[in-house]
Amino acid sequence: MLRYIFRRLLVAIPTLLLLIIICFLLMHAAPGGPFTSERKLPPSVLANIEAKYGLNQPLFVQLWDYLTGILLHFDFGPSFQYKDRDVNDVIATGFPVTLTYGTISFVLATVVGVALGVLAAVRHNTLLDYIAVGVTFSAQALPNFVMAPILVIIFTWQLGWLPGGGWNGGQWQYVVMPVIALSTSYMASIARITRSSMLETLHSNFIRTARAKGLPTRKILWRHALKPALMPVLSYLGPVFVAMITGSVIIDMYFSTGGIGLNYVNAAFNRDYAVMLGVTILYGALTVLFSLVVDVAYAWVDPKIRY
Amino acid sequence: MALLSIQDLRVDFTTADGVIPAVKGLNCEIAAGECLGVVGESGSGKSQSFLAALGLLADNGTARGRVLFDGQDLLTLGQAEQNRIRGNVISMIFQDPLTALTPHLRIGDQMAEVLSQHRGISGAEAQKACLDWLDRVRIPEAKRRLRQYPHELSGGMRQRVMVAQAMLLSPRLLIADEPTTALDVTVQAEILDLIAGLQKEEGTAVALITHDMGVVARMCDRMLVMRLGEVVEEGATDAIFHAPQHDYTRLLIDAMPRLDRPDRTRPLTPVPEAAEVVLEARDVKVHFDMRVPGGLFGRTVALRAVDGVSLTLHQGETLGIVGESGCGKSTLARAVLELIPPTHGSVAWLGQSVDGLSKRQLVPRRKDLQIVFQDPLASLNPRMTISASIAEPLKTFQPGLTSKERKLRVVEIMERVGLEPALFNRYPHELSGGQNQRVGIARAMVNRPRLVICDEAVSALDVSIQAQVIGLLKDLQADLGMAMVFISHDLSVVREISHRIMVLYLGRVVELADRDAIYGAPQHPYTKSLISAVPIPDPRLERTRQRLRLPGELPSPLDPGAGLRFLPSRLASGQRDYVPRLDQVAPGHWVAEHDPLEAILAAG
Repeated sequence: MLRYIFRRLLVAIPTLLLLIIICFLLMHAAPGGPFTSERKLPPSVLANIEAKYGLNQPLFVQLWDYLTGILLHFDFGPSFQYKDRDVNDVIATGFPVTLTYGTISFVLATVVGVALGVLAAVRHNTLLDYIAVGVTFSAQALPNFVMAPILVIIFTWQLGWLPGGGWNGGQWQYVVMPVIALSTSYMASIARITRSSMLETLHSNFIRTARAKGLPTRKILWRHALKPALMPVLSYLGPVFVAMITGSVIIDMYFSTGGIGLNYVNAAFNRDYAVMLGVTILYGALTVLFSLVVDVAYAWVDPKIRY
Repeated sequence: MALLSIQDLRVDFTTADGVIPAVKGLNCEIAAGECLGVVGESGSGKSQSFLAALGLLADNGTARGRVLFDGQDLLTLGQAEQNRIRGNVISMIFQDPLTALTPHLRIGDQMAEVLSQHRGISGAEAQKACLDWLDRVRIPEAKRRLRQYPHELSGGMRQRVMVAQAMLLSPRLLIADEPTTALDVTVQAEILDLIAGLQKEEGTAVALITHDMGVVARMCDRMLVMRLGEVVEEGATDAIFHAPQHDYTRLLIDAMPRLDRPDRTRPLTPVPEAAEVVLEARDVKVHFDMRVPGGLFGRTVALRAVDGVSLTLHQGETLGIVGESGCGKSTLARAVLELIPPTHGSVAWLGQSVDGLSKRQLVPRRKDLQIVFQDPLASLNPRMTISASIAEPLKTFQPGLTSKERKLRVVEIMERVGLEPALFNRYPHELSGGQNQRVGIARAMVNRPRLVICDEAVSALDVSIQAQVIGLLKDLQADLGMAMVFISHDLSVVREISHRIMVLYLGRVVELADRDAIYGAPQHPYTKSLISAVPIPDPRLERTRQRLRLPGELPSPLDPGAGLRFLPSRLASGQRDYVPRLDQVAPGHWVAEHDPLEAILAAG
């Protein structure tokens, strides 16, 4: 197992390297640059600024400098957009925010989603099942950009219970709405996957054997059905976790949480090459890491999988 | 008083098409310590009756009537009361041992569950009880098995675990639902012996549900024949076999292929003198790379699925290939058709070598070589009508035909294989298994091939349908003179249809001879043990037969010493890679080199 993990981490290095190179080239292939704006700068000033950031160098020299900076000094370069801040700063301020509300959303979505799915499967074709299916369908039809304004209207305008935005160091009042807005549709997907895979598991032969042994339903569910039913959920959770902790531009924009999701999109609009690449590398590394976590979790659920 | 008395049991399923009756008023009794055989084809309601008795019906099923166990009506019990009976005084084992155990729980934990649930026994005491029973069902290295997961055990061993688990609390009734259907013949024989032994020693009554008349003949005192949810005949096994009263019972008994009585339907058409060679294979090997743990990136070992097989097949001849699971019979078929490229060896179709030809070059030659697969439904495209499936080879190989001509040819072949023209525009899921297999045969035969390979083509069918399909294949051979390779794990079926028979063991030929020679005077111990393990549907004969039991389970093809199971002397002298010689003991009768039987039995 350790050998497997080591091997996977080894393979991650060329994967990430490739990701960096492709993103770097794509970024530079896009028309415009960080200092092109509606109000044209005088050519001499532009040349000066570009020289300062090394943008006048040939592309492969820039790439080389960028890669060596990362490998030797863990330096992802300066931001082109925010003066006096480098990429490490931008990530260090934005990422903890999204990590906080993302993790809480993830836990909420998983726990509620799995519970709802299991319940619906166990009470298959009863009123409870129909309600659960109805709720999940509607929840999936409510993306976060619809959910967020609805929440603000209800809890801020009407009831005045919660602040309509800001982060305030992650005080709970500021976290509630981002979490609900972000987790709802994921929760619905998790519930639906759990329900269908639990239904399939409950119809399998080994569940019939467990029933023939005289085990009560509760035991059959916990000991025999849950693990195999969670297999498809598990493979969904890996990418979902990464998507959630890296935040969402909608949430960051709507609730002014100051998370990294907004930085990412702004960086793309403003051709802030360094921030864009830095965040991409963060996403890539997290994706690689959590797909490994999912694979390791598989081995825990299914003894047939041995690395 | 009877131990179990079922009175007017009715089982209905509510489906989208309305209420479908599965059991229509079953009456039967099982006395303490008795073995009752419940026989019937698919859809007879034999399994559903007993699932209903235990309260294990699917959600959409309802049961009415009375199921008295010791005078108590099981159908009126609540969930908790039913749970106290299941696994305790009545236990059940199922057909497919590969899926019947929970995959993520250790064998020991699954078994101990029964003890803690019903008796509150756990810990060391429970482990000891499990160990005792694993020993009693003759599982080797029982202690190690307790810590293993189901997938680490062979199918036969898993079924033994199921039996041990069912017997843990010494139930008074054991319901065995097709307990040996998915198993190889030698393993089937062992499991049946085991159940019969438990019935005697423990006094457990057994309800044996099966489609196999041979199994009933071996095991049961009394039997019950079911058809479409109703009992058609009931009585002592001897009486029913020797003087069946009902037409359906007679039909079932007659439909069973029998080792001791081939050619029930029509005799085989003899192979013409000096017939052309249709297929020739020399020293064919197929090795698969298997990844095993080791080193940073793992390492691969070769799994020798087929390891040096030669065969020659003439026009109008049928070669039967038999062997147990993992012996390479299907791989061999695919290799000689170049569906899997052989790792080594040469293959010639119709006298022309096909070695080294690309896939594209092979295509035009495939017209004359066709294959029919095991699962009739799964091997047809569900989104194509059956006529479209049958017409497809015509489009490939005779693109010049107009659509009218093609339709004519399809109708013609459908009629020839016994499919009504009304089925022309139907989809596979609308047809029965037997009809679908006729579609498979029609698709294979539409271009009048010179060779048809039937890979377990009748294994999934009910016996009466099986007999019809075999009759059809024989007829087609008599009319069209094609050669056939008939692959099956069922020795009785192979005997019915084959001129010559090849017995495979772990990718190598152990015996090859004319069918009468191989069944009348088998030479190799493996052939002998296979033949002696097949139950014959005749209770009197079956009870007097001597079985040849070879020691050990069917080994894995990855086990390096396994190929020399019949040459323990070579193994003892360290010649692990020795390849047994094939000797000709009589004209056309080849037998692999082996040690005397006593030495093999001693080595096990």
